[in-house]
Amino acid sequence: MKLTLIRKDSNITDLLKQDLNKGFRLLVETYSQKLYWHIRRLVVLHEDADDALQNTFINVWKSIGNFRNESSLYTWLYTIATNEALALINKRKKNTAVSIDDLGNYFANSQEGSTWFDGDEAQLKLQNAIMQLPDKQKIVFNLKYYDEMTYEEMSKVLGTSEGALKASYHHAVKKIEKIITGD
Amino acid sequence: MKKLDDISKKNPFKVPDNYFEEVNRKIISVTADADESVRKISIFKRFRTSLLVAASIAGFVIISYSALKILAPDRSGYQVSEAIFELNQDSLINDIDILSLEESAASFELSEEGPDVSKKDIIEYLMLENIELNDIYEQL
Repeated sequence: MKLTLIRKDSNITDLLKQDLNKGFRLLVETYSQKLYWHIRRLVVLHEDADDALQNTFINVWKSIGNFRNESSLYTWLYTIATNEALALINKRKKNTAVSIDDLGNYFANSQEGSTWFDGDEAQLKLQNAIMQLPDKQKIVFNLKYYDEMTYEEMSKVLGTSEGALKASYHHAVKKIEKIITGD
Repeated sequence: MKKLDDISKKNPFKVPDNYFEEVNRKIISVTADADESVRKISIFKRFRTSLLVAASIAGFVIISYSALKILAPDRSGYQVSEAIFELNQDSLINDIDILSLEESAASFELSEEGPDVSKKDIIEYLMLENIELNDIYEQL
């Protein structure tokens, strides 16, 4: 977690104590993009990410009174966002209308897919490889690779030991490299 | 093919223009509305005790009034009882009159022979015939 974010977290928690609405507004403005991208990388489709993001903040609002300063606001928010994303993924698995297993095909060949993807061919392959990971490995990989979260913070978000997370990330990287190199 | 470290970490996904401004506004407005409803509930909660006390008093007053209306005699009831009282008084007066009438009759002796009837029977007969007590009195 970067120093600037630690300072912002401190400002948010101070403001929440003084004025709940103003504190929450600052929280949304600070975290909406970060949490959106975290969710989006897991659920892939924008509409799903939008739903999960809004549900995340509604849940944050509902339980903001239960938030205790001894836990980090940053990890607490990532926990809620991850749970929302996983709930949506499970819902999609049960009654999926659009299969997004083959992201390469979806983003490269469908008009809708190309509207929401701006990466090159290597990035498309990477996203396709990430999609093939089990959910937990996918989360660990994304949090480490894109969000640059420490294992200690990740352990708080996922409730898993740091050792298990390190092993999970190592396996995820091996699988991804195997997929993208075509070995 | 490139290895993982060679691939750009730049976010490859896109969002609609001004998405974050709009979603922030939407989230804040939704929670502000929710807060408003919570505040309304809070106002109710704050005054709940006073409202319950006021409602209890109002309920007690209504029940008491209804009970009085049902159980207590109203004006027509009062008139009836008054009438009954007056009727009883009349009866009392009549009783007194009849008693004094009987006393007066005790000293009366029939001058002519007639059927074997008592004085009391005569008086009762006369009264059944709606003859005024005063008239009977005068005859005695």
